[in-house]
Amino acid sequence: MNAIELQHISAAYRESDVLRDVTLAVAEGEWLALLGPNGAGKSTVLRVITGLLPARAGVALLGGRDVRAIRGAERARLVAVVPQELSTPLPFTVGELVTLGRSSAHGRLARPGAADRRAIERALAYTDLLELRERPFAELSGGEKQRAAIALALAQETRILLLDEPTAHLDLNHQWEILQLLDRLNRECSLTIVMTSHDLNLAAEFCSRLALFDHGALVALGTPAEVLREERLREVYHCDVRVRHESGRAPEVRPERRPQPAAGGRAKKVHVLSGGGSGAELLRLLVLTGHHTSCGPLNMGDSDAQAAAALEVRAALEKPFSPLGAGALDAARQLAAAAEALVLAEVPFGSGNVALLALAEEALARGARVLVNTRNLEQRDFTPQRVALPRLKALLERGARAWQHADEVLQALEKS
Amino acid sequence: MFWLLVALVPLVLGGALLLGGAGALWPDPRTELGRAILQLRLYRVLCGFVVGAGLAVSGAVLQALLRNPLAEPYVLGVSSGAGLGAALVITFGFAARSALALPAGAFLFALTTLALVYALARQHGRTSIYGLLLSGVILSSIASSLLLLLLALASTEGLHGITWWLLGNLQGDSTAALALGSTLIAVAFLVVWWLARDLDALTLGPEMAHHLGISPALVTVLGLGCATLMTAAAVALSGLIGFVGLIVPHALRALVGPGHRRLLPASALAGGCFLVVCDAVARTAFAPVEVPVGVITALLGGPFFLWLLRRRAAGWME
Repeated sequence: MNAIELQHISAAYRESDVLRDVTLAVAEGEWLALLGPNGAGKSTVLRVITGLLPARAGVALLGGRDVRAIRGAERARLVAVVPQELSTPLPFTVGELVTLGRSSAHGRLARPGAADRRAIERALAYTDLLELRERPFAELSGGEKQRAAIALALAQETRILLLDEPTAHLDLNHQWEILQLLDRLNRECSLTIVMTSHDLNLAAEFCSRLALFDHGALVALGTPAEVLREERLREVYHCDVRVRHESGRAPEVRPERRPQPAAGGRAKKVHVLSGGGSGAELLRLLVLTGHHTSCGPLNMGDSDAQAAAALEVRAALEKPFSPLGAGALDAARQLAAAAEALVLAEVPFGSGNVALLALAEEALARGARVLVNTRNLEQRDFTPQRVALPRLKALLERGARAWQHADEVLQALEKS
Repeated sequence: MFWLLVALVPLVLGGALLLGGAGALWPDPRTELGRAILQLRLYRVLCGFVVGAGLAVSGAVLQALLRNPLAEPYVLGVSSGAGLGAALVITFGFAARSALALPAGAFLFALTTLALVYALARQHGRTSIYGLLLSGVILSSIASSLLLLLLALASTEGLHGITWWLLGNLQGDSTAALALGSTLIAVAFLVVWWLARDLDALTLGPEMAHHLGISPALVTVLGLGCATLMTAAAVALSGLIGFVGLIVPHALRALVGPGHRRLLPASALAGGCFLVVCDAVARTAFAPVEVPVGVITALLGGPFFLWLLRRRAAGWME
């Protein structure tokens, strides 16, 4: 039998719809994560399961029975909830707090009996809180508080545990600690777990199935590999993501940094003349700020060429370890001709690449902006007759702009 | 700790019975005068105990239900409502006709105020804590203004009567009123004690209470009703006595812990004893002049509460 079954559930707060026709079954012993952007309806699913929010249409079944027909005390023995943040204004100790999990289990005004004490001890042992039981709850750290909240739920001795973003307020090691605890409970006690989460990777790592929500609708349900698809995530989260599927490992989701348009100005066409890694950082910044960037000529295998390939920047390429030939130069000249600005990086000049200067001179002659890196200018000329240095100085005299840090290039591009 | 409190009760009550304006004296019960004095003191001590217990328990319950450390029996406008009721009874001369008129007027107005506050705070089928606190404050000031209006218009005797009542006074003469008030307070106490574990759970918030199998709405309505009943009965018996409901639960949490199964009876005993002691001081400290007991509770309780606030030992963490 399914532990939880939602059949065509629609639910709403006041007027606005938050769940639309959601059908979902959770098998016993399963660990399901509810994913989706803020306001997608994840937490509302939990509220419907516990009967906190009555469904406007459809049925929610707990162990095959309509949750609305189950009395409070009995429901508290079927399903326990760990809230996003547990807090009480009263100075309860950890032990007293966990005892509240037995609220509707023992008689009114009676002290907790043997069965209650067993449940409490077990909950404290699983969450590793036995030594903290006398400590005031309010003095615990974030991770300890979350463990205490889980202990409170475990003390209810239910077969189903619901958690609302159990790792939201925790740092990395505590996130893992909590999830490994849940993993143990899921395996050793075959506890059915349903949790909401914003962390797609943690959910993929630990959960057997994922349910992805968007605008109150269930858009995907299945194994992590089935649910975490780039296209789908892009649609749901409105964000560029990459998903790495490696066999034997949980899929890994990584959001892509979105290129920001150049602040306050329009994107420019920029061509970068570099080599030997002198242009890699500049290329990255130009791409991130949304400028239409090209580069070259570069030798294949050069670290700037690799950077250009990774950044998907168009580059004119020459064979590895060869002087720049006419073919590559022409290709670069075509790229440079379209550019509004040419940037010459901090590149050492030798007989193999002195032709770069010709591209800069041509650009300046046709009125494009030229930016010349002047750092260590005197020490970079390794041409046989030291012809590079005078040509660089001539460029600067004829109106090329000097720069030393990549930021200066970005600023100069914004102003023009 | 709890049993220490239980043992303290007969000591305090007996001691207070012995104390008179002229010092510690046991009046001769064989003379008519002695019997009369004993009867007056007995009434006063019992009344003090019942009122103190009612106010303290009501404070403890309201602090839990409203999740607010500053909640006290008068927070929901009960005091101003009761004050207005008492002032009306005195102004229109009903007080002279029947000993029960004043307590009854105060009681009815206290309950009416709470019903109004609750109705105002309820929106879309839910009662919010902030709604309760806000409408309590507003109705309270409306009732206070009406009370001031009555005071301005009242005759000299009426003014004296109202003021004396507002300051709090445990010396009544109607055994029937005392019996009725005590019964109401005892019944309301039993109900909230029966809800002790629900109150514990409710301090985690209504949603957590729901998850723990408790009906937050039912517990809130029952708890608010009982707390108001206790307060209204206490006000009707003794006028407005402040601070008991605020400080006693705070002090007791530090002694017996925050769990209501122990806190509520402990608050009842300690609140009763506290008020009896304050009243003994009020009767004897400036004898033959008698000071209103509300002055003593505030003078003893105010500094104590400030000290508690600075220590934050009462454990309200927010």
